Amino acid sequence: MNLTTRRATRAAIGFLGAWAMAAALAVSAFASHVTPTTTVPDTVTAGEEMSIPVILRAADGAAVAGTTVTFYLHASFAGVTGEAEIGRAVTDDTGLAALTYKPRLAGHHEIRMEYLAPGDDEIQVATTAFEATGDVQLYRTEPSVSVPGLDVGLLMAVVSTVWMILFGVALLLVAIARAGKPGDALSLESRG
Amino acid sequence: MAALSEWQRRLEETALAPVRRTGLRYWALVAFLLAVIGWGAYAYFIQLRDGLVVTGMRDRISWGLYIATFVFFIGISHAGTLISAILRVSGARWRTPVTRMAEFITVVALVCGASFVIIDMGRPDRLLFVFVYGRWQSPIIWDVLAITTYLTASITYLFVPMIPDLAMFRDRLAGRTSRWRGWLYRVVAIGWQGKPSQRRLLASAIGVLMILIIPIAVSVHTVVSWVFAMTLRVPWNSALFGAFFVAGAIFSGIAILIIVMAILRRVYHLGEYVTEKHFVYLGYLMAAFAAIMIYANISELLTHGYKLEEGVEFHFRQLFLAEFAPLFWFYLLGGLVAPIVIALLPATRNVRGMVVAAILVTFAMWIERFVIVVTGLRVPLMPYEPADYFPTWIEWSLLAAGLALFALLITIFSKVFPIIAVWEVAEEHESMPVVPETVEPAAPEILEPSGGTS
Repeated sequence: MNLTTRRATRAAIGFLGAWAMAAALAVSAFASHVTPTTTVPDTVTAGEEMSIPVILRAADGAAVAGTTVTFYLHASFAGVTGEAEIGRAVTDDTGLAALTYKPRLAGHHEIRMEYLAPGDDEIQVATTAFEATGDVQLYRTEPSVSVPGLDVGLLMAVVSTVWMILFGVALLLVAIARAGKPGDALSLESRG
Repeated sequence: MAALSEWQRRLEETALAPVRRTGLRYWALVAFLLAVIGWGAYAYFIQLRDGLVVTGMRDRISWGLYIATFVFFIGISHAGTLISAILRVSGARWRTPVTRMAEFITVVALVCGASFVIIDMGRPDRLLFVFVYGRWQSPIIWDVLAITTYLTASITYLFVPMIPDLAMFRDRLAGRTSRWRGWLYRVVAIGWQGKPSQRRLLASAIGVLMILIIPIAVSVHTVVSWVFAMTLRVPWNSALFGAFFVAGAIFSGIAILIIVMAILRRVYHLGEYVTEKHFVYLGYLMAAFAAIMIYANISELLTHGYKLEEGVEFHFRQLFLAEFAPLFWFYLLGGLVAPIVIALLPATRNVRGMVVAAILVTFAMWIERFVIVVTGLRVPLMPYEPADYFPTWIEWSLLAAGLALFALLITIFSKVFPIIAVWEVAEEHESMPVVPETVEPAAPEILEPSGGTS
């Protein structure tokens, strides 16, 4: 490939890239007149309340008030992965909708926000993410009344006892079978 | 002595008769039951293919016919516990001719009941999740533990007292039956020769089991009731539920035992051993439990109605006056009051009367389970319109298949295993000072003469 060809190729790629960016911006501009802005800290502590704010502004910079924003958390729990709705908030006069949320688990949290801006036909989506630190497992609530000894251990002890007795019965059956082996004097009681 | 020997020979022949000869009517019944089960399998295939949306259950009423039938089957499984264990512990000797049937019912009902839980899951491939993700704090896990323990104990309790009779089958049918039957009886008789040492060991095993199985059975239905009572639903908020369910279980267990007894007595000519006395005594027990159920209902309904917490008014209206009123009133009058009247009136205190009462109780107790499950979920938790639930043909088909499976397993059991506890009946007979009442000698030779042999 000579120098001229390389330059022509670079120019073509650059042109196509610029065209693609312009097209994307144009589609975005046509798709919605409202721009969302979210500012959440990169790191929060699991178990502590935080605010997830989103500000909606029109193309001219004016605040979009009275729009309901629905917040979803992408989560994986007990083998099931999916999105769970964690709350809703309505934008105020400044265009701010803030959801107070308490992360229950440590780890990466992806939040998706949905809203239908005035004048739009389609629901718009914005996303944000943060890391929750700590080792608190808040979905396990402590019992309000804790009686010492009255726990899973007791249940296991009862169930184990029952199965041990059943095992004892099985041993008795083995003994019955062994007692009936040839060599001992046979009884004809069972033969009618 | 000769008369006793002749009586024992007749008893053994009666027990052996179902195994020796099988008529066309038997195969016709088996074919019919298999057809019903096949239809149920087709319905289940559709449910597996399309999901639980093919049932009448939705998000607000998420339990229906399946769970009601599960509770019903677990209830009737208490037949074996009551007749065989409680009466054995209390030394009631009249129980001996019917214990085996009661123990059959227990095992078969547990198998059928447990299958309805799996059907209700919708996704049976997720059954393992109960163990993988189960939490010990959940009554569902307690239920799984209790039912598996009860099933194991019930199979053992069915098997252990049957060993001498299986040995009798092994010896009496040696060389006179098919090879697989001969092999089966040799294996399950576990070398029983009736030696004194074996009898002692057998008595120990039965003694341990009859004590053990009573608390297990009580725990099973108590835990089944907790699945409801520990859910935040207004009609299920009751500390009485455990005792209420156990009483209802024994009540329905007696009823189904009377029905099965009547059928097997007629089909296998057991009139000499299963007499009117057994039906009347069981009828008395059934009437006693009907009285307990009436008391429990009054206690439950009065305390709820007196306080009339939020949601109770709606619940009472749907029970007594609106959608569920016909079912609930049938349960109260037909299922609880009528059996007492039938048992008390001399004119109806006979086999036919007790069977009619038992049929009423069986229907009523299934309805009671259905009403508990559906009305409990129907009371709105929030200010929305109450949901309705109508079982679809899929659910009715699977209910029919479940009942057919129950009948089929009892039918097959009666053709393979001794339906009378021969050695216990013989022991009771020998210990009696006078010869018991005799209806008419059994005639096993003429049993279903139209068919061939098995």
